[in-house]
Amino acid sequence: MRRKLVTVAGLGILAGAGAVWLAAHQPPDRPTEPGPVLTLLVGASLLGCGLASWRARPENRLGPVMVLTAFAWFASQLSETPEAWVYTLGSVVQYVWVIGLIYLLLSFPSGRLPGRLDRWLLGGVCSLFVIQLLAMLEGNKAGVRCPTCPSNLLHVITDNREAENLLLLERLLGSVLVATIIVVLARRWWRASPAQRRAVAPVIVAGCATLAALVWTQVLDLFGDPLSALPATVWFYTTAAVPIAVVFVFVQRRLARGMVAGLVVELGQPRPSADLREALARTLGDPSLELAYWFPAERCYVDGEGRMVKLPNIQSGRSSTFVERDGQPIAVLLHDPVLEHNAELVRSVCAAASLALENERLQAELRARLSELQASRARLVEATDAERRRIERDLHDGTQQRLVSIAMSLGLLESKLPDQEAVTRPLVREAREALAVALEELRELTHGINPPLLTERGLAAALDELCRRAALPARLNMNLHADRRLSDQVESAAYFVASEALTNAAKHSHGSEVRVSASHEGEMLTVEVVDDGIGGAADAGGSGLRGLADRVEALGGRLTVSSPPGRGTSLRAEIPCA
Amino acid sequence: MRVALADDAVLLREGLARLLGEAGFEVVGLAGDADDLLALVERTRPDVAIVDIRMPPTHTDEGLRAAKVIRERWPAIGILVLSQHVNARYALELLGSGTDGVGYLLKERVSDLDELSSSVNRVGEGGSVLDPAVVEELVGRRRQADNPLEHLTEREREVLALMAEGRSNRAIAERLFVTEHTVEKHVKSIFGSLRLPPSADDHRRVLAVIAYLNSQ
Repeated sequence: MRRKLVTVAGLGILAGAGAVWLAAHQPPDRPTEPGPVLTLLVGASLLGCGLASWRARPENRLGPVMVLTAFAWFASQLSETPEAWVYTLGSVVQYVWVIGLIYLLLSFPSGRLPGRLDRWLLGGVCSLFVIQLLAMLEGNKAGVRCPTCPSNLLHVITDNREAENLLLLERLLGSVLVATIIVVLARRWWRASPAQRRAVAPVIVAGCATLAALVWTQVLDLFGDPLSALPATVWFYTTAAVPIAVVFVFVQRRLARGMVAGLVVELGQPRPSADLREALARTLGDPSLELAYWFPAERCYVDGEGRMVKLPNIQSGRSSTFVERDGQPIAVLLHDPVLEHNAELVRSVCAAASLALENERLQAELRARLSELQASRARLVEATDAERRRIERDLHDGTQQRLVSIAMSLGLLESKLPDQEAVTRPLVREAREALAVALEELRELTHGINPPLLTERGLAAALDELCRRAALPARLNMNLHADRRLSDQVESAAYFVASEALTNAAKHSHGSEVRVSASHEGEMLTVEVVDDGIGGAADAGGSGLRGLADRVEALGGRLTVSSPPGRGTSLRAEIPCA
Repeated sequence: MRVALADDAVLLREGLARLLGEAGFEVVGLAGDADDLLALVERTRPDVAIVDIRMPPTHTDEGLRAAKVIRERWPAIGILVLSQHVNARYALELLGSGTDGVGYLLKERVSDLDELSSSVNRVGEGGSVLDPAVVEELVGRRRQADNPLEHLTEREREVLALMAEGRSNRAIAERLFVTEHTVEKHVKSIFGSLRLPPSADDHRRVLAVIAYLNSQ
């Protein structure tokens, strides 16, 4: 590899020396042709930068393309000789280097033409080369405007007028093509992500400048003073800037790799995950970078909050880089596709950050498990509530109905007995009364399982009823949206908290009054029950309250009990509700 | 007296129809849900509609809503709502718009044929019926100190409850084995204690008592 590059460099230096010599000895009547300084500047820039890129990134075509363009550039100087066959050869290849330049601009930074339009444009530029050849077949002097040029050996017929027309066509077509390419490059810039822009900015700027100068020369050639040296000079200088811009971009990436060292130091300190993402995004130069961590239990990737993350596919315009440690997946970096051209940087960043990523992964896994746990608790509460409602419904539709029906039959039976009957009648009445007690008990039971009013009319109505039925006088203070129902789980949790607290107050507080308040502010439902009793509830009500606390916590809420001796007991539930 | 009947449970619907027939009522039709009931009432114009509170499709308070519709469209038709729960709120909602020809009873009360026929008759004649369990809940509520109800005698409270159930002075007298004159004295004393305007009309009296109990 090294040897090949040295050989190419040697050949390039020879060709360059020849071209500079030719440029130094060119006839004085060709102000639009590059002089020795410009010849050297453009050629050296292309050759040097091409070799540098080739060496640094052998897999990328841009290096070889620049070197070939340098040779084509040097070869174009052959048209400056008085020798006819050399002049002819030089004229044929005079503009080949422009094809290389345009390929370079269209394919940067990958070295491959990204789309069909790019291929068409390059094809169009190549066709100019054919038109130029045709012109040479027809005209004696391709440069009709060049009286001192030697004879063109290719010409078959001499029709300078026709040749001039062909050259005109070439200029016209060339201007349109190059203008189109400028538009394509500008649009590519416009649509690029910040990371992409950062990656290609210098090349796009230099490229658009040189292409604009090229259009300028062509337009002047068509309408204006064909011998004005200024646009051509601008064109050559800006052309020299293009390879330098390419190398600048590559060097910048190399510098970015140097930042990896800084990253390692930075990651030495413990930090929250947002900072990790920040640090990686800064090092990689991609503000849109996202991190997702491997969650082995579900065999998927999750974000810092424990939510599942979908990996990008080809259409989504995002790329992913997987990070592993000891053969185990840790994380995935979701980033701009432009970073794929700098895979080495991404790899070294991943290597440097793998320990920090593993830490974050463990935390994300923990959070994912917690959110899973929370969800399963919520499901449990939901299932319990549904079960309560089902039992209540079953009792209502089944047992209660049947008992009522039996009571009716007994009533009917009683009405059929003769009035004087003294044996059976008391027995039937007794049965009816026993049945009434059974029904009453059943009613209390179903009410305790799921108060119908709560399901049918909501929390406000149910709390009102609860306070009216309370064993201790209960004062209710509500600040609820009357027409807005909360979710079943939230309502029943709030209701049962109040119900249990009222029962406890009646049983244990020795108080004379209870205050119940319920308010829904923002996204939070607060229920508070305060009695004026003796306080000092040691375990604050025992297992009933523990169950309620579970219920409230499963909904992401909090149940707090405060019971200082002699100052009453207060129980407060805060339940989030969207 | 002509009666229409709505309950989604066939067992209870048929049983109740038999009981009513036995008690001498003419059952003009049976309905399984609120829509059926409204159609039936429209067609047959009964004297009384007996409605189960919990019916399809939502099994919540369809019966109550149907009762309100009947009250609006055909104010002359008496309505007796049957419930399996003691739900003072629903009872008060029903009676709140006027107690004429409205009743709220627990389902199991229908097993006492005498109670059933007297309730249906009362509602059919424009009187009112409130289930004793609901009244008990209203009267028995624990209240703040210094409540006028606390100053009533035991007997006065009994009379108050029976008044709230919708019974006339004579019915109360029969219940308590006292003369009608004694009941009148109790009523006067109760109204005085509760600072309610005296009213001879049984219906308005019920409303006043219920409104009072509910406000406390």
